[in-house]
Amino acid sequence: MKFITPSSEELSYLRADPLLWEQELDVWPQAAEAIEKTVGIRAGRVYWRSEHDHLYALELADQGRGRPSMAMVLGHWDRYEPRPPEHEIDADLLDFILWIAEVCGLDPDDVSRVAKFAGIRLTWPEGSVLRTPEDCFANLPGFPFEPHYVEIEGLRLAYIEQGQGDPILMLHGEPTWGYLYRHMIPPLAEIGRVIVPDLIGFGRSDKPVNDNAYSYKSHVRWVRKFIAALNLKQITLICQDWGGAIGLRILGQVPERFQRLVAMNTGIGGGFSPGEGFMRWRYFSQRVKELDIPSLMRNAVLRRKLSDEEAAAFGAPFPEGSFQTAALVFPRLVPIRPDHPGAYDNRVAIEKLKTLDLPVLLPWADKDPITGPWEAFLRKLFKNVAPPLTIRGAGHFLQEDAGEEIAENIRRWMSEPH
Amino acid sequence: MLKPKPEWLKNLFPWEQKALKVNGRTMAYIDEGNAAARPILLLSGNPTWGFLYRDFIRPLIDEGFRAIAPDWVGCGYSDHPRVDGSLTLAHHIADLVSLIDQLKLQGFVVVGQDWGGPQGVGAALQRLEKLSGLVLMNTWLFTGYVGPFHSSPRPWTTWHAPLIGQFFMKRHKVLSQHGPSVTSRRGITGEEARAYHHVFDEPDSDHVVLTWPRTIPMRQGDRGWADMLAIERRLPELAKVPTLLLWAPEDNVFPIEYANRLKELLPQAQGPILFEKAAHFLQDDRGPDLARATIKFLKDTLKEAL
Repeated sequence: MKFITPSSEELSYLRADPLLWEQELDVWPQAAEAIEKTVGIRAGRVYWRSEHDHLYALELADQGRGRPSMAMVLGHWDRYEPRPPEHEIDADLLDFILWIAEVCGLDPDDVSRVAKFAGIRLTWPEGSVLRTPEDCFANLPGFPFEPHYVEIEGLRLAYIEQGQGDPILMLHGEPTWGYLYRHMIPPLAEIGRVIVPDLIGFGRSDKPVNDNAYSYKSHVRWVRKFIAALNLKQITLICQDWGGAIGLRILGQVPERFQRLVAMNTGIGGGFSPGEGFMRWRYFSQRVKELDIPSLMRNAVLRRKLSDEEAAAFGAPFPEGSFQTAALVFPRLVPIRPDHPGAYDNRVAIEKLKTLDLPVLLPWADKDPITGPWEAFLRKLFKNVAPPLTIRGAGHFLQEDAGEEIAENIRRWMSEPH
Repeated sequence: MLKPKPEWLKNLFPWEQKALKVNGRTMAYIDEGNAAARPILLLSGNPTWGFLYRDFIRPLIDEGFRAIAPDWVGCGYSDHPRVDGSLTLAHHIADLVSLIDQLKLQGFVVVGQDWGGPQGVGAALQRLEKLSGLVLMNTWLFTGYVGPFHSSPRPWTTWHAPLIGQFFMKRHKVLSQHGPSVTSRRGITGEEARAYHHVFDEPDSDHVVLTWPRTIPMRQGDRGWADMLAIERRLPELAKVPTLLLWAPEDNVFPIEYANRLKELLPQAQGPILFEKAAHFLQDDRGPDLARATIKFLKDTLKEAL
């Protein structure tokens, strides 16, 4: 167990939730003493971050018996967000008590066995995750690529892999999926190993049905674990919309895995409104039960007309409204105030991004009312940004409007010395 | 004063829950039969309550006894204090002594299983002049012998270890939700299982499922050791008290070795009468048979009227 000292600012954005309350720690004096010795305090709190990126604290109290007498384990959740799924909390607590068993000289295997015997669920409960049937994806125009799958935290994450060489990771956003990158995959697969995952809740990836499964933090965690599962290094990150919100945070967390960044109509918010266009979209999206994604895409692609089949392909992952939880939740996960969930983590990431000198290209659509204002922000943020690359007449989904053109520009930029 | 019983429970357990204050806490009990008849104290253990003795109550009344089934503080319809210090062996004994005094019981019989044994006998030793009989089932009254269930790390020690116990027993209610149903030999119904654990529905109301295991004296210095030793040393004072042992040999918590040790310490005891096809909660598995054996023993040995 690695204990950390969170900043007081981070703690101020969290609420503490008591999970285990041990009034009788000293019923077993050796255990109390072993815990004191290992954590190094008799009274006070120590913190750790779990596998699921949640922050936990162990609070010890001393009632004057020469050893810790009481203990409490607290979970710290984002103040404005629902409690995370119970199985995540259980898995984190089980990790913790396995550590306690070790410290106290019990056999951790016994703890695991008891947990198994007690039927404690450490993964998604039955019926809480949907999987879009494969026949929904039959005859996708322009998308002949075979899907690959990897399991992340008990969820199936789908991705496309084409070509060889250094990885070129393409992250889509709301409410699309890897299909959005189909014009860019073949040209870039000629110069690198193109990897296009579908975010959890989108495309061919699994879709937890409950709102609380999705947070900024969980999306970041899933993609970060995906990158680790494939052990991607020297990544060229291509991202748009939420792909950037997620990808830029990860870039700030594990910069050593990346060598280039292509950010398109995206941003990373430290807790302010990204503009009126976004606020209108947020307002609208939080008041509908279901999004009509094909017509939404038809209206947003400006430079050409999306065929009926192409529009339908964007709706393919969502055969019913119940499949859309991730898409419906996304707009409200954008931190639009400094104390919103994710704002603090983004500010930490932004501070890191300021120090990076990796080459950055910003292809930007000029007819996007939602993420338009972010270009100036990103241009100022990074040290090594290529000259502006404006995609004229394109909308928010510029990969649809001008995929080949952007891919061509990326290829040229990648071949240049920076 | 007491939480009302849910409607669905009334079919299974129709008797009215009464209440009195013991040591500042509310203790619930049922008290059925003629008030002048011989009182039979039906004492359950961890994590059950008077419901465990439902098959005893009607036969006892019909045979002219007074059936009293209290719920230990921390269990059943009694108060569930969140204070571990009020759930020690000495506290439980003092609570029962208070009930015996307040109900002015004369010539009572203790019927005890699991913690109902040491707590019932512990209280009886303090009111020896009013005690007229003992019926003990799968329990113990001594230090110095610990069976494999309590001494092995799986599952017991691990279940109630510091913080680990909080996770298994409190957060996941491993014992209070599943104890009586998982061990049932008879095939307990969903409603019966619910009758056992609905009393722990309120969050954080199940301290007793941790304090009891932590009170089991395994070695000198453990909590419960001194109190249990005090009981053990006074057992010779019970030499003239008619005693019966009823035993479920298939119970892995208190296997037959415990009965043999009780026989040594209580040489006057009859039995053990063995009941197959029963596990730790034998009153649930073989209730009517145990009630019959108990009544026969009472009728054979306690011939004098009160």
